[in-house]
Amino acid sequence: MAAGVAAWLPFARAAAIGWMPVATAPMPVPPKDKRRGHEGLIVLNVSGTKFQTWRDTLERYPDTLLGSSERDFFFHEESNEYFFDRDPDIFRHILNFYRTGKLHYPRQECISAYDEELAFFGIIPEIIGDCCYEDYKDRRRENQERIQDDEETDATNELVPPDMSFRETMWRAFENPHTSTMALVFYYVTGFFIAVSVLANVVETVPCGTAPNRAKVVSCGERYALAFFCLDTACVMIFTVEYLLRLLAAPSRYKFVKSVMSIIDVVAIMPYYIGLVMTDNEDVSGAFVTLRVFRVFRIFKFSRHSAGLRILGYTLKSCASELGFLLFSLTMAIIIFATVMFYAEKGSSASKFTSIPAAFWYTIVTMTTLGYGDMVPKTIMGKIFGSICSLSGVLVIALPVPVIVSNFSRIYHQSQRAEKRRAQKKTRLARIRAVKSGGANAYLQYKRSWLLIDPDEEASKEAGQALVCKTNPNFEMHHHHLLHCLEKTTNHEFVDEKTYEASCREVTLVKQVSCSSSISSSPHGLTSCCSRRKRKTFNVPNSNMSVGLQGSIQELSTIQIRERPLTNSRSSRSSLNAKFEETVPLNCDQPYMTAAIISMPTPPGTTPEGDESTSSTDYSQANIVRVSAL
Amino acid sequence: MLSVIWETEGLQTVGIVVLVFASIKLLHLLGLISFSEDSVEDELELSAVRHRPEGLEQLEAQTRFSRKELQILYRGFKNECPSGVVNEETFKDIYSQFFPQGDASTYAHFLFNAFDTDHNGSVSFEDFVMGLSILLRGTVQEKLNWAFNLYDINKDGYITKEEMLDIMKAIYDMMGKCTYPVLKEETPRQHVEVFFQKMDKNKDGVVTIDEFIDCCQNDENIMRSMHLFENVL
Repeated sequence: MAAGVAAWLPFARAAAIGWMPVATAPMPVPPKDKRRGHEGLIVLNVSGTKFQTWRDTLERYPDTLLGSSERDFFFHEESNEYFFDRDPDIFRHILNFYRTGKLHYPRQECISAYDEELAFFGIIPEIIGDCCYEDYKDRRRENQERIQDDEETDATNELVPPDMSFRETMWRAFENPHTSTMALVFYYVTGFFIAVSVLANVVETVPCGTAPNRAKVVSCGERYALAFFCLDTACVMIFTVEYLLRLLAAPSRYKFVKSVMSIIDVVAIMPYYIGLVMTDNEDVSGAFVTLRVFRVFRIFKFSRHSAGLRILGYTLKSCASELGFLLFSLTMAIIIFATVMFYAEKGSSASKFTSIPAAFWYTIVTMTTLGYGDMVPKTIMGKIFGSICSLSGVLVIALPVPVIVSNFSRIYHQSQRAEKRRAQKKTRLARIRAVKSGGANAYLQYKRSWLLIDPDEEASKEAGQALVCKTNPNFEMHHHHLLHCLEKTTNHEFVDEKTYEASCREVTLVKQVSCSSSISSSPHGLTSCCSRRKRKTFNVPNSNMSVGLQGSIQELSTIQIRERPLTNSRSSRSSLNAKFEETVPLNCDQPYMTAAIISMPTPPGTTPEGDESTSSTDYSQANIVRVSAL
Repeated sequence: MLSVIWETEGLQTVGIVVLVFASIKLLHLLGLISFSEDSVEDELELSAVRHRPEGLEQLEAQTRFSRKELQILYRGFKNECPSGVVNEETFKDIYSQFFPQGDASTYAHFLFNAFDTDHNGSVSFEDFVMGLSILLRGTVQEKLNWAFNLYDINKDGYITKEEMLDIMKAIYDMMGKCTYPVLKEETPRQHVEVFFQKMDKNKDGVVTIDEFIDCCQNDENIMRSMHLFENVL
């Protein structure tokens, strides 16, 4: 508020003397000035770049980090300065805010980095100055849209949780045809029939030569009336079925009925039914003929199949104001010029400009530079005004068009970028997976070497330390110790892919063999199979296995997945739950497993290390890949 | 028949007139013709106005501030007014930031006039610091003198009721709308009446400097409030 002019406060207070003689009541006592020890310079060392400013400058905004006592946490005694391990380039702008009271947004900085810095220093972005605010908001909106796009594609690409009802599956199939083969087939079939229907409408009107018992040329529609009728019926059948299915599957039927696509669907199939109803009524046959025009709306059904069409529609919707302006200015110009032309041509003989509305046609044709030539002015005045009309027509139409074009271009490029991101997503995920597996490999290496050397913990720790001392010994050491603790807690161990896959195959074998085993003995059955492996212990909770044994592996894994969020405690059984659920469905060769694997988002906090450092979290994700089930 | 000819003729004239005007406008737009002399003049930036204050020693001698205090004052001054002088708009702007609820522009206008001792339309750092020196470090007599100067809008040595009313309204304007109790129309006027009753000894409708100083010195509240802001800097 007045912090930017804080330096003028003494002046404002001094000027208050002007009120004193006027005042009738005594003045309040001034507050005691907290004598700040030294009004001096503060040194702020931001990642090596030193900034210096007056203490008062920083204290202008006491609700930020630098202005409050929070900065004392960053005080570095040895060098008697405040040290911040942040970006010095962005800090420059933050410090300028204290100095000038205005926060600026540098154009070349990444918007998320900037936001993070602002959040760190406790400055709200809303106080960005007017000069930079628009730019900031634009960049922010772009970023949000990008994140939203990513989330949407995530939502659509994620595999369905298995407990989705049939209705929801159907809706998903309709909305995202590439999720299942059935949906894809349906998509193409409807597309084909739309095309056929539109083609039939067009061909119907082509003259087809003379009919045997009539003299004049008839159109194909009249000649092969039955064939076309059957084709039409078939198409309408398909469209009706599709519409009803969509209506059935829609999560919110009311919203679906209101949507544009559904209205187009209805309009596309209505003429047929209305035609069925009133074929024999001669009076309304004219209206019936008109209804056939609506059949052309079937072509709009293609917009479900074409993203470009959707973009066009969206552009037109978003440019509604420009289009409205265009229309309005055109109408104004048409009326003006039509009036003028009418009066100019009134004198000439046999003039086609019989009335002002008749002159409208001439004006429109001239302004859009069509120039049919069916109406031409003959007088000199008429010709002059006619030329002015065509010149102004070019201008009036050319003005709003670039706005519409740029809008279309922006939206189109946005969708292009979204497509590109989706395509790059696979490589991105692969990259992320590679990084995770790298971390996992380090631990497995460490463990292998440790086990080979000495079961004694102390000695092995040192050995392990020696092995991994390449990069960051302290960090790695503690990290590995942490993972080791986890292993001990859960009585499970980390292994690599091959052993895990091998054990998976064993599970299927065991299942096929021992499906008659009783519920209570199921864990033992599995344990027995596993006890062959050297260092595996495996306790599977009864509840899980009982259900799973009776079904396929997929059911097992899906049930596990469902139960996962419930487990939170650290008891060995429940954490085993967590372990088992993470591990079972992943990286197995069976096809059932594959489906469930993809669907697994990372568990938020079920592993004990979920709330540890990010490296551990990364590792827990790698866990999913690596841990053996049995 | 005749009427038709008249119509066409009339329309032709109108058309020609329209054409002529349009072409003149077009030429004017293109800058080939100019109608009035001052239309070409651009907004000349008054950037030539830069003011450097007198040296620190001189200011130290002329005012009652120490070096450090002058440094602090100048830094704040220069921060808001990089050109070295304050014009009335900036002055009003700065002062208004301290009173966000009300409208401080009128009072700031009077203040500006009080600070601008040489009446050249801008307040330089010297004017600023001189004024502050009186207000913060001056004797009671000097302060009262300054206050009288502030109230006497036309600087004729007398405070009339109208002048006082203006000042009073300006002060009440700074309060804004949301006050308790609610501000009424006649509150400033009543306040002026009270003031004049107290100050105007000889009931001649104006307050002279002697009446003012005399009366203030006899009023305990006012005397005490004069020392209120002494430790501001």
